[in-house]
Amino acid sequence: MKENSVKLVMESLKEAGINTIIVLPDSRFKELYPALASDPYFRYIPVTNEGEGVAIAAGVMLGGRGAVMLMENSGLRVAIEPLSRLGHTHEIPVFMIMSYVGDIGERNWWGITHGLNMVSLLQAMHIPYIIVRKNDEIKDAIVRAKHHTAVSKYHVAVVLCGEVTE
Amino acid sequence: MKRFDCLKSLVPMLSDEIVIISLGGQIDEWYHLRPSHKNMYIKGMGAVIPFAFGLSVALPHRKIICSDTDGSLLLNMGILATLGNENPNNLIVMILDNECYETIAKHPTHTSKNVDLAEMARGAGIKNAFTVKTVSEFMDRMKRALKLNELSFIVLKLEPGSQAFPEEERKRSDGIEDKYNFVRYLESSENITIFPREQKSIRKIEAKHNWNNTKL
Repeated sequence: MKENSVKLVMESLKEAGINTIIVLPDSRFKELYPALASDPYFRYIPVTNEGEGVAIAAGVMLGGRGAVMLMENSGLRVAIEPLSRLGHTHEIPVFMIMSYVGDIGERNWWGITHGLNMVSLLQAMHIPYIIVRKNDEIKDAIVRAKHHTAVSKYHVAVVLCGEVTE
Repeated sequence: MKRFDCLKSLVPMLSDEIVIISLGGQIDEWYHLRPSHKNMYIKGMGAVIPFAFGLSVALPHRKIICSDTDGSLLLNMGILATLGNENPNNLIVMILDNECYETIAKHPTHTSKNVDLAEMARGAGIKNAFTVKTVSEFMDRMKRALKLNELSFIVLKLEPGSQAFPEEERKRSDGIEDKYNFVRYLESSENITIFPREQKSIRKIEAKHNWNNTKL
């Protein structure tokens, strides 16, 4: 990610009222992590897998603080079970920001299924999502999506790709 | 040691502590012992301790007690590593370890053999990690944990078995009702808004409509 994209994501998180960042690192966001971890505004929590991470995010959210699970899109495959339990059984929402590995133009053969699975899993789970390819769309997407989790009581995903993760 | 006896001994120690309850027979037992909206019941194996930890992050001034099971923790052992590093000082984790998946014909879990959950927690960096085998040992550890401003992890070695209750005394709320009860309790006790109220209509009526000329 370029410096400008990192700055825009951080500003958008603040504007959306998100101060707790739950992270399973992904190479496409690597410039974002040190920036988030060193900003005292954020509580930065690395986790061991995305299933654990979304459940932590749900607890933070239900306790009245803004949280996001920051992950690679392949992590959605890991997180589906807790997302279903939290989202369907309890209607406790989780806000996720994920990379779009496997987007058209992907350079790695192994990444293609990440993209195919992401779209089909988001749709299978009826999780609304916004795909953000341009820097000037970041803020609107993050602020709107975060607000939507609280109103819909259900998960929402923002998928960052294109110019944003270059 | 019976689970019901341990849970019963815990209730008099509590005031406004938030209690997160996992799956299985403990649900009806806890509902019977401490009927309160200060409890949240999470139906998701492997998600219970992470959820409780998330609450402890959001509410650092509140004591959170998480009552999970051996089967649930074994589904997501990674949370021990996260807890060991994050070290939330307002969280107490209890593991009700009956060494089996009791509702599934008591199929043995790994803790029935070589696995020692307290030892694993210590290895993850949780220094206050203990195994208890009697009710008085449990009460002693729990009293200390409630006073201590540190993360505690207590494994209760239990015999399988649940207290039976008449049908009308069993918990009947579902996961969504439980969530709303808990959220409304937090909103009032913490003076916060977790789910926003419906927005008032912002559309202005520009001109008064004359309904007399309208064919309805």
